[in-house]
Amino acid sequence: MHTLLEILIGGIANSSLYAVMAIGLALVYGISKVFNWAYGSFFTWGAYIAWFLCVGSFQFGYTIAFIVVIPVMFLLGLSVEKIIIRPLRRQKGWEINTMMATLGLALFLDSLARLCFGPYMKSLPLFLEKNIQLGSFVIGLHEIIMFLTSIIMIILLEVFLQKTWTGMCMRAVSQDKIGARMVGIPANKMFGYAFGMSASFVGIAGILLSPKYFITPGGGWDVLIKSYVIIAFGGVGSMKGTLYGAFILGIMESFIVYQFGSMWVMIFWFTTLLGTLIIRPKGLLGTWE
Amino acid sequence: MRIDREIIILLVILSILAFSPLFFHDNPYVLHFLIMCLIWSSVVAAWDLIVGYAGIFSFGQLAFFTIGAYAAGMASLYLGLSPWLGILAGGLLAGLVGVLLGVACLNLKGVYMALVTFGLHLVLAPLLTLGRPIGTGGSRGLLGIPELELGGYCFSALEKVPWFYTILVISFLSFFFIFFITRSSYGLAFRSLRDAEPFARSLGVNGYKYKVVVFGISAFITGIIGAFYAFYVSSVSPRMLGLDTFLMVMIMLIIGGVGRFPRVLAGVLFISLLNEFLRPVEQFRSLIFGAVVIFSIILMPQGLIAFFENKFFQRKKNLAGGKKKLKDTQL
Amino acid sequence: MDLRGKSCKITWLEKFIWGRVKIMLEVQKIDVFYGEIQILKEVSLRVNNGEFVVLLGPNGHGKSTLLKTICGLHPVESGNINFCGSSIIGLSPQKIVASGLIYVAEDRHLFPEMTVMENLKLGAYNFRARDKIDESFDFVFQLFPRLGERKKQLASTLSGGESQMLALGRGIMSCAKFMAIDEPSLGLSPLLRADVFEKITLINKNGIGILLVEQNIERVAAFSDRVYLMEDGKIVFAGTADDALKNKHLKEVLLGIS
Repeated sequence: MHTLLEILIGGIANSSLYAVMAIGLALVYGISKVFNWAYGSFFTWGAYIAWFLCVGSFQFGYTIAFIVVIPVMFLLGLSVEKIIIRPLRRQKGWEINTMMATLGLALFLDSLARLCFGPYMKSLPLFLEKNIQLGSFVIGLHEIIMFLTSIIMIILLEVFLQKTWTGMCMRAVSQDKIGARMVGIPANKMFGYAFGMSASFVGIAGILLSPKYFITPGGGWDVLIKSYVIIAFGGVGSMKGTLYGAFILGIMESFIVYQFGSMWVMIFWFTTLLGTLIIRPKGLLGTWE
Repeated sequence: MRIDREIIILLVILSILAFSPLFFHDNPYVLHFLIMCLIWSSVVAAWDLIVGYAGIFSFGQLAFFTIGAYAAGMASLYLGLSPWLGILAGGLLAGLVGVLLGVACLNLKGVYMALVTFGLHLVLAPLLTLGRPIGTGGSRGLLGIPELELGGYCFSALEKVPWFYTILVISFLSFFFIFFITRSSYGLAFRSLRDAEPFARSLGVNGYKYKVVVFGISAFITGIIGAFYAFYVSSVSPRMLGLDTFLMVMIMLIIGGVGRFPRVLAGVLFISLLNEFLRPVEQFRSLIFGAVVIFSIILMPQGLIAFFENKFFQRKKNLAGGKKKLKDTQL
Repeated sequence: MDLRGKSCKITWLEKFIWGRVKIMLEVQKIDVFYGEIQILKEVSLRVNNGEFVVLLGPNGHGKSTLLKTICGLHPVESGNINFCGSSIIGLSPQKIVASGLIYVAEDRHLFPEMTVMENLKLGAYNFRARDKIDESFDFVFQLFPRLGERKKQLASTLSGGESQMLALGRGIMSCAKFMAIDEPSLGLSPLLRADVFEKITLINKNGIGILLVEQNIERVAAFSDRVYLMEDGKIVFAGTADDALKNKHLKEVLLGIS
């Protein structure tokens, strides 16, 4: 019974960050219609930057990591959109070209990480080592932080999208790009912001998830696949669906790891993907495609 | 069927290659380079069939390659199949997986297709590692795959010339087959589905059938080549599925120019040469490759040959006084 | 009837300047291509201050392309377009909207998952319009009371006539001095069509210049100041609506396809 609850809590904590990751990917794809294959590499870099600040040369605390990673990742996303994606958008067949370009970027970023930080695993210390005692079982404070941070980020994002001008513009661009241009919205800037924001999101997920799982140069691919499967499962175009998907699949993943071992994780995710495609391609709450 | 200039150039190149062992028979390094070039050429040609001609963003090519390799290796090691049958088995198994993948992806488009097919690639490595009990050799892979034999003659790792001629023949057959398909009614169907799918469907072109067929053919060819590779290096391992290899082959496809067989093979040559030049700086290789991918897509979206062609024709046009273009407004 | 509040009124300075600059929109011999195909051939037209000009012609002859080009959504190969005295060639749609020119497309391009209020609010995205947003809302709801009843409704659930009203309303929200409107009556019942034209006339009476694309001259003859006829990407007639109706060839072209 104890173990079950521990697994569940671990699953919930993971799921909340998976939700953040998936929403970041949905954001960038929904608004700019470009699938960022380097999303996993952004995750890894967020984690590595935090490692560099907290464990590497300096010994800053976590707060500094957050303060640095968020804007740095935002700028990275923004620059990628401006320098790589924008010139491609004008060409015919930009869909596949942007995919290939972001794949190349992923290779580049992963190799850069390997060169800078070495191929071996690194780990971040837990945010807070303490645990909370609730009755007869223990919850790690880190997991609570993971959960709370995710919830806060998701709420902030929702408020941003609904209430601020820029947020509304981003939604407008995702719904009708031409209409947005007609009204005077600078669509390119919005694409850039979407890239930047998604990079920040996944960077933060990188910081918070890394203490539990090690950081490796190639570790971002799992992140990309999981994010995508969550979106496909929950339904493309539905934020609620993505949330549900993240929690359902994240908790299931926890149980699978416990029962069968971590080798089966990716097979679980891929099977879910195949299952979704065959049984219900629209996903749980999908609104389009 | 039209035989255009480029096909003739390709045939000429292949004929020249056929004579090359005369000059290089004691230089295994060069022969190995040529063999790998031919191997990747066939893979890229098969990949071009599905991406360039059928417009399907399949990222599963290397997965088919590996499946073919493993199937042949395992068939040969465990079932004692003659290596040639093993190669055929590799192709067939890969082809079967291709067909299944095609069926699974019937209604997918664009990004979603890429993701699912890439998913196959990503999930294959853990599957192979976990497959140790059924003989896949786990994370180390299989070593010591028996060699090819032809009428009593045993191929060996030291003598590259027989390998060379084998792959030359296999490549020639693959190219011929692919060329034949692209110029046939199947090719026309593929292209119509790529360019205007709803319209093609309204004319009665069965998109599903052709999708599955092109997956099957592309996978089959790639599987055969993968099987050959398994015998050539006498081993298979999950490392064949590394991201750098995948991207290397992908960039061969891009730089060559998607959808224009046999132009696409120029990319194979260019990247293979680049690969060799970068050997001294092995650790920077992936980094440079990533950067090359990005730059070539931005600068040469239509491929290497088309890029130079455009430059050449642009010059002619400017001399003749072409259209003046005012500053582009954003679209 | 001046339905706009005080703040949206044209300032005395603008009036002073405009009094001198009589031409609001001037298109000078533009050539426009789609790839290799030339759609517009040396097209020139002009809309004076506060005028209501109609662009007529059969389908597929370039009318929509002309509007799209004026609004910065399509590049110009050669020629010039002046708006309020300065050239707008090569400017982004964002800058063109900011200078007071708004485009209401045939396909409307509303934001389907957003409410009527949100669509209108985004219409006022440009900085000039943001200060005057409340007055703009008032104007729009007085002009289109039906929209006022459906403030919280999603744009995708509106009927044809209501979406057209929303598209026009969104254009008004931008505090534009000039509206380029493409076939607003398309797909609407005759009653709604008359209503739409009446509303556009009202908008025009408030000092906003209008360039309207239409197929049928009879509908617009009553309230347009001038008309142009475009055939095969060329302007073949320019004059008043009465002149157009008197011209035999034009009558065939314009009424033959109504």
